[in-house]
Amino acid sequence: MSRFTRRVLAMARKEVLHVRRDPRMTWLAIGMPVLLVLIFGFGVRFDLDRLPVAWVDLDGTRGSDALREELFVSGEIVLAEVCPEVECAERALRANRAIAAFVVPAGAEEDRTRGNPVTLQLLVDGSDGTVANAVLANAEALAAGAAMASAPQAGSWQQAAGSRSPRSLIATVIRYNPRGESAMFLLPGTIAYVLALVSVLLTALAIAREWERGSMEQLFSTTVGGLEIVLGKLLPYLLLGMFDVLLVLSVGASVFALPFRGSLPLVGVASILFLVGMLGQGLLISIVTRSQMLATQLGAFSAVLPSLLLSGFLFPVENLPWPLYWLSMIVPARFHVGLLRGALLKGSGWSDHWLDLLGLAAYATLTVVASAATFRRRVA
Amino acid sequence: MIPALEIDALVRRFGATDALRGVSVTVAKGELFGLVGPDGAGKTTAIRCCAGLMDPDGGAVRVFGEDPRTEKARERLGLMPQRYALYGDLSVDENLRFFGDLFDVPPDAYAQRRARLLDLTRLAPFTDRRAEHLSGGMYKKLALACALLHSPDLLLLDEPTNGVDPVSRRELWTLLGELVAGGTAVLVSTPYMDEAERCHRVAVLDHGRILAVGDPSEIARGADSFESAFLRIVEAEA
Amino acid sequence: MKTIVVERLRRTFGTFVAVDDVSFEVEQGEIFGFLGANGAGKTTTIRMIIGALPPTSGDATVAGFSVAREPREVKRRVGYVSQRFSLYPDLTVRQNLSFFGGAYGVWGKALDDRIEQVVSEVDLQGRLDELTGELPGGIRQRVALGAALLHAPPIVLLDEPTAGVDPRSRRRFWDLIRTLAAAGTTVLVTTHHLDEAEHCARVGLMVEGRLVALDTPAGLARTWVPGRMFRVEGTAAHRAIPSLRARREVVEVEPFGATLHVRTGEETDLDEVRSWLDPDAGVARVMQIRPSLEDVFLAVAGRGDP
Repeated sequence: MSRFTRRVLAMARKEVLHVRRDPRMTWLAIGMPVLLVLIFGFGVRFDLDRLPVAWVDLDGTRGSDALREELFVSGEIVLAEVCPEVECAERALRANRAIAAFVVPAGAEEDRTRGNPVTLQLLVDGSDGTVANAVLANAEALAAGAAMASAPQAGSWQQAAGSRSPRSLIATVIRYNPRGESAMFLLPGTIAYVLALVSVLLTALAIAREWERGSMEQLFSTTVGGLEIVLGKLLPYLLLGMFDVLLVLSVGASVFALPFRGSLPLVGVASILFLVGMLGQGLLISIVTRSQMLATQLGAFSAVLPSLLLSGFLFPVENLPWPLYWLSMIVPARFHVGLLRGALLKGSGWSDHWLDLLGLAAYATLTVVASAATFRRRVA
Repeated sequence: MIPALEIDALVRRFGATDALRGVSVTVAKGELFGLVGPDGAGKTTAIRCCAGLMDPDGGAVRVFGEDPRTEKARERLGLMPQRYALYGDLSVDENLRFFGDLFDVPPDAYAQRRARLLDLTRLAPFTDRRAEHLSGGMYKKLALACALLHSPDLLLLDEPTNGVDPVSRRELWTLLGELVAGGTAVLVSTPYMDEAERCHRVAVLDHGRILAVGDPSEIARGADSFESAFLRIVEAEA
Repeated sequence: MKTIVVERLRRTFGTFVAVDDVSFEVEQGEIFGFLGANGAGKTTTIRMIIGALPPTSGDATVAGFSVAREPREVKRRVGYVSQRFSLYPDLTVRQNLSFFGGAYGVWGKALDDRIEQVVSEVDLQGRLDELTGELPGGIRQRVALGAALLHAPPIVLLDEPTAGVDPRSRRRFWDLIRTLAAAGTTVLVTTHHLDEAEHCARVGLMVEGRLVALDTPAGLARTWVPGRMFRVEGTAAHRAIPSLRARREVVEVEPFGATLHVRTGEETDLDEVRSWLDPDAGVARVMQIRPSLEDVFLAVAGRGDP
């Protein structure tokens, strides 16, 4: 064997040993691809399935009931609630209890028996583009199933092409995002996602850096305590995060004409809670891993995947299979994305999002307490 | 007789800093030569130039008459660097095997030398232990073993006893003494003034220049320690 | 007065006994040296003494407070300079001092006054606004010492303080320590530089968790390396080893790099040793030397573990 070959093989053999001994490599090369395929395979579903739709019956006849049964028979849509008037449906949309609402106009039955065309209105929540698109795409199928045709309501941006001459019509109205701009429904999710990633990474490095440098030992010999260190490290990043929130909203408003229809204090409080939770997550990772490199990787991974896939950012949470759906309950981004969409686009208020606020507060408390507790144990 | 190592008016700069300002040293076969000086004196730079890892900006280095950057010179040269000499996540044996392959040591020679080196360094019971789990002294001894696998005629060591416990330090120096008695030429750099006394000859290096060369006892004559002598010499230059 | 009284201090980590029944006392204003191989239990013992690690059993009274029961009080009275230069390199000297002063609970005007005092004590005049990371090692260590003195502790603990520091700065640093001690501060030092340990009034040596020797440097030499010691230099000094070892007056011959250390009984003198050595065998010089703490260390720790 020539010297050259021997050296090449020696380098290769050594590299194999390195890879085998580094659990991160194994994770990267084997674990993560499998996990991602599973998550994406199960989690990413753009099809319409079990989506909650409200029913507003302004006519109140047995004909409307029959129509309702026909439309909901497939199971692709599920009856969320029955509303006496449109205002109730709007509230349901704002509070995320329904993603669309059928409105049966008064006098519909009468028109039908007389042979006049009946227009059934379908209000769609445009703040979640994926859902809206799915509903629109299936409106025709729904209509056909109920022997109707589907077309956008006159005056809305979608002009129907090739509509038949129907007996009845489903007219779709996209609420909250009439022009259907992707930026509108992507931006709130983007804000949450970016904040999550940045805050986790900021704090993940904060403590790991002190461990690596050795300055942690020096701190321990002074009289400063564990909780003091945790809070002291968290505060500047919290302020930085709040500044980021304002920055991102401003850019959204000025460049993409992102509206702000809801309550500013609500967004403020929610953002603070969200930031504390994510900063705390980063701190916890930092305390546990003690190495900057590992902290960065773990931080990015734990912030990116859930915020991207389990938060409702790209596709609806309701569509996730049960295990992932329950998992999304402990992802703070899930609460924040819904809240931001509501507050920015739908003009929803405190009462619509009390559950989201509770979730954010719980997560924030959990991570800060866990950080302080783990920290104290690490001292020895 | 060609000296094992010849450093001739060596100059090396890093940007605006002159790390070495015309250093000249000769090390003969079987000589234990110490390069003694404080942090920043230029010791590591000098050793790296001797190992062919750095190009001189002026002057020359010759290893048995050859340029250290050639393969011919490198075959006769062993280097024990100050840091990152070994692979932490590889075991003692895996490290040895890797360097053996790298230096193209023939298999039977390798088996023989490996056994002897493990014996000398007392690392035989730890062949499966990862390098990162070795104590400071053991780590350095392993680094030395890896540098000796190809039986070099000239050994360069950069601060081999930094942070090492006193027992291992004594053992390392004993090993060096035995190597030298067997004919190997050794150039050792050290910041520890008291280690100067363990060498045949020393050169005192400060700020890139040699302030004194010769027998350590000669240099320390009249002072109560080599360190006092060093300070006296440095003060005289200032 | 004894500022530190250590009584049967013990610390285990699972089944591993890091510190095994260590007891000693340190007087006020004394410079006390702590020696031992890595893993011998030095660092663990120190951590317990400064109140950063609770003992498994036993106790130490530091400046009147128990490390087991009142660690926070102990911490307030100890200044600790750790091994790894743990100042923040991207802060200025002043900022580092302010931060550590705050961490020790010294604020406002009191802090400003103390910074001024400390700067003069450790000789950092004119350097307050320099970036710590850009200072040479010796000066950085003075900043670290200064930071540990801000809360005027009666006890200062230095863990390998002069690692990587040039000889000149090392001398100055030890002058500072001696001044501190003379003024009444008790100083505990751990170091690998055995020649520095000679500056200490007393030295304690730890091996495998136990304190096996405690005395003045001279006393330790007398106990552990009795007799006389000679250094043999020359290009072929090693060849003389077998013949020297054969002599009954010779207790031990240790290779010391390229030289030899020969230990004999009290009665042997230099001329006698010279007469044993064949001048043609490449022996250049023979002289009598004082046994160093390294010799003591080796005698105490023995051939130890690798």
